[in-house]
Amino acid sequence: MNKILFKKTLRDMKISWAQSLALAVIIALGIAGLVSMAGAYRDLSSSYNYAYDTLHFADVDFSLQAAPSGIVEKIAHLDGVSAVTGRIIMDTGFDLPSGEPIRARCIGLPTQHQPAVDSLYIREGRYLQPGDKNAVLLESHFAQYYHLHPGDTITPIVNGKRTTMKVVGIASSPEYLVVSRSKQDVLPSPRTFVVLFVPLSQVQKTFSLADKVNDIIIIVKPGADRKAVIVSAQKLLEPYGVTATTRREHQPSNEALGLDLAGFKETAYLIPAFMFFVAAIAVYIMLSRTVHAQQPQIGLMKALGYSDSAVMLHYLTFALAIGVVGTVLGIAMGQPLASAITKVYAGTLGIPLVKTNLYVDLWAKGTLLMFVFLIGGGLGPARSSAKMPPATAMRFDPSAALVKGRTSIVEKLIPLPFWFRLPVRDVFRVRRRSLSTALGIIFSITLVLLGMAFLDSMNTLLHSEFTDIERWDMSALFSIPTNDAVLQQVRSWDGVKQAEPHMEIPSTLKANNKSQNVILYAMKPNTAMHPLHLVGKTNAQSVALSGRKIVLTNYMAQKIGVKEGDIVQVTTPFGVWNFQVGGLAKEYISAVAYISLDEAQKLAGAPIFNALYLKVDPNQQVMIKRKLYHLPGTANVQIKEGMQKDWDQFMGLYDAFVGIIFLFAVVLAFTLLFNTMTVSVLERQREYATMRAIGASGGRISWLMAMESVILWMLTLVPGLLLGWLVSYYAMSTFNSDLFVFYLTIKPMSYVLTSVGILVVMLLSALPAIRHVNRLNLAEAIKIIT
Amino acid sequence: MNEAVIRLEKVTKDYPMGEMIVHALRGIDLKIAAGEFIVLLGPSGSGKTTTLNLIGGLDNITSGQVIVQGEDIAQYKDKALTRYRREKVGFVFQFFNLIPTLTARENVAFALALLDGKTRDLEKRAQELLEMVGIGDRADHFPSQLSGGEQQRVAIARSLANRPPFMLCDEPTGNLDVETGRSVLQVMRDLNRKEGTTVILVTHNTAIAPMADRVVRLHSGTIKEIGINSEPAPVSALEW
Repeated sequence: MNKILFKKTLRDMKISWAQSLALAVIIALGIAGLVSMAGAYRDLSSSYNYAYDTLHFADVDFSLQAAPSGIVEKIAHLDGVSAVTGRIIMDTGFDLPSGEPIRARCIGLPTQHQPAVDSLYIREGRYLQPGDKNAVLLESHFAQYYHLHPGDTITPIVNGKRTTMKVVGIASSPEYLVVSRSKQDVLPSPRTFVVLFVPLSQVQKTFSLADKVNDIIIIVKPGADRKAVIVSAQKLLEPYGVTATTRREHQPSNEALGLDLAGFKETAYLIPAFMFFVAAIAVYIMLSRTVHAQQPQIGLMKALGYSDSAVMLHYLTFALAIGVVGTVLGIAMGQPLASAITKVYAGTLGIPLVKTNLYVDLWAKGTLLMFVFLIGGGLGPARSSAKMPPATAMRFDPSAALVKGRTSIVEKLIPLPFWFRLPVRDVFRVRRRSLSTALGIIFSITLVLLGMAFLDSMNTLLHSEFTDIERWDMSALFSIPTNDAVLQQVRSWDGVKQAEPHMEIPSTLKANNKSQNVILYAMKPNTAMHPLHLVGKTNAQSVALSGRKIVLTNYMAQKIGVKEGDIVQVTTPFGVWNFQVGGLAKEYISAVAYISLDEAQKLAGAPIFNALYLKVDPNQQVMIKRKLYHLPGTANVQIKEGMQKDWDQFMGLYDAFVGIIFLFAVVLAFTLLFNTMTVSVLERQREYATMRAIGASGGRISWLMAMESVILWMLTLVPGLLLGWLVSYYAMSTFNSDLFVFYLTIKPMSYVLTSVGILVVMLLSALPAIRHVNRLNLAEAIKIIT
Repeated sequence: MNEAVIRLEKVTKDYPMGEMIVHALRGIDLKIAAGEFIVLLGPSGSGKTTTLNLIGGLDNITSGQVIVQGEDIAQYKDKALTRYRREKVGFVFQFFNLIPTLTARENVAFALALLDGKTRDLEKRAQELLEMVGIGDRADHFPSQLSGGEQQRVAIARSLANRPPFMLCDEPTGNLDVETGRSVLQVMRDLNRKEGTTVILVTHNTAIAPMADRVVRLHSGTIKEIGINSEPAPVSALEW
């Protein structure tokens, strides 16, 4: 391309700098969205793996009753074992300074060196040393929650005795990247669960387990047959009572992280992909309109002897120049944003080692895709203009040329007052212009509604879970089956208004060759502590839960492909039985199922239960919690208010994400509308100037422009809100995981706010164009054709 | 000559063009009487359109006075200028400048509606104006469905909406063939003679000059000559 044409490209951009900048911003937002969110997903994924590799995360964990320490050496010599560590793990209690009792897990570790498997990342202070007495390394989530540091003291209850311990360090463990006590705890809770790392010899002494271990963790050599290693280790450990064998993929923290990451993956790609698509379409529309309007210039270039290819190259350069600015800006925004999201997300989760990378392939994919739209938008109209005879192209009036069609049906049906006729005519007769502006508005409504839908759905989830579904005040879980005597004892306590037994049983559902792990809740069929919100053509709760019937969550039913009336095989620790699906429940926790307590007790062969729902006097909650922990076999006690706090905190993770979507939506909406409104006005510059010349006031023209905006807004409102609902519904389903189910909720007020907000943005974004019209040099403008 | 209703006194107009200043008008004096048909003649850049724009309140002067019916419109602010254009002036442009989304009748009605804000009988009055310029039968057509001459007649009808004392026409035949051009000029002549409308017509086409009462020749921003046609030629005699 010759220098003059290149200069023209730069000048064209300079003249329409605001529009060029707006285009570049839209491109930048599309690219930034993709690079930041998909990049953050990859960063998180690699950070988890990096933490696991650096801290030698175990491939398998054997829980034992007790075994001599020497067994560790024997296992180390097994074929395929790369590293092994023997530990003592004891679950115990801990009183917070407020007096609230919580659960603690004591893990005895060697003091000479860090364990070879599941080693610790010391965040503050130091690792344990030989000779340390009553020293403790605190797991970082708990330390962070309660602001504890090296030098502070804590008093856990160790083997029934309060023991004062000095914090020597704060550590992260690959086993507790998400502090999950067991699979039954849906959410991590540093508030109610603490992991204490103490010298192995001290734990052995305290619990009278001298020279013994009760937990063995192994790393399998790369390439070795893991299954074979596990079998041979199990054989060696058999005499010492293996109570659980947990493979890496089922390790609670790892599993929780995996679920979370899986949920994030879909979101990280799908939402930015939609945003990218919107940006790309916007770019196409605006660029093609801009080039279309330059038809006379194209005619002139051709008349002067420029070839078709030279003309197209010129407009290609124009498109690419804007594209380059936009993509560079997008990458420059997106990459740091990816690192920031990773750091915020990993920081909130408490991931100790974070790795951020540059994802050049993402840049390349985003840029390439965007350029396809840019080239399409720039070249299409340039090509058709270049094909036109120069004389025709030069005579082209972009304002008049766009006017096609007949009088609209609306006008034929409803006689409009004169001052409404012009804006209505403009909308209906200049269809191409209206259509592209309408698309811009529809996309803007969609994006803003998407942001609103996220906020509403999350608020509804938090609100409904704790007001409509969980109606108890406290719940207690026992690690051993308990009986009616305990129930009567609890009912007799001061402050206990109601106590209802139930069972929580880790189980597996199977149907259609698909299986899913769930916590099976066996409840009284008419329970008011956790009422089921049955959906579809269903029975009453008491019928749905009667006899050999099971109630599944919608999510689980979909996962294993069953509906009401189908048979599901349920594997429990007591045996395997078939249940008929008695109903489907709308629940926010995915991996749960419900049967009747009577049936569970029948199958277990005894009137036992392992959990309690309580309604209590709020003033006595802490005291009741303490008493519950003094019952035999109490594993965990939850106060609903506290649990709600955990949920709030966990959902806070999504806030940053929703914030980005929202910000993107609003900026994109403004930029999109600014550009479409500006192009619309510039196309009609002469028309407005003529109106001014024959005596129309600036106010009258502003009114006409505003009316046109309002008409377009009214026409696009329904399709925009509908598309917004559909996109939100789809987007929300990408958040669903085996952990949570998000139901799309959009409050009426959100529809109103979105609609009014978009109208306000439309009117505001037209202001620069209105100002421009009111400041036009009329003498010049009435002569301007292009 | 009747008493002057338009007086230009020492009017200058400069346009900044980058670092240069273009002197479009260099201090012109001109008096125009009510009911006159004036042709402003000159080559490109002579200042004829600038003069017309200043009289029409489309542009601001650099110095001097533009006194219309006793008031210096050069002192008017935007609002007053808008009212002046709405009430006193009818414009006819070279490129017709019709609103493409309105029919011929509605284009005229648009100007009518601006005038008194009343929308009753608008279309009826617009139809009368279109009939006056001889295209009443094309009232329901959109500009894109009209020929150049028809569009210019609609523009004339629109300019008459306010029954203006002054009609300002900038190259009204510039975009028309001879035959159509003549018919448009005839409409103007009729308005001038029958309604008493003062017509100021800008053109570079010397062939139009004989129909005027007076011909003002401009060159490089100054008035070179003012010629008087004691017997203006009929439009049918014009040839170009």
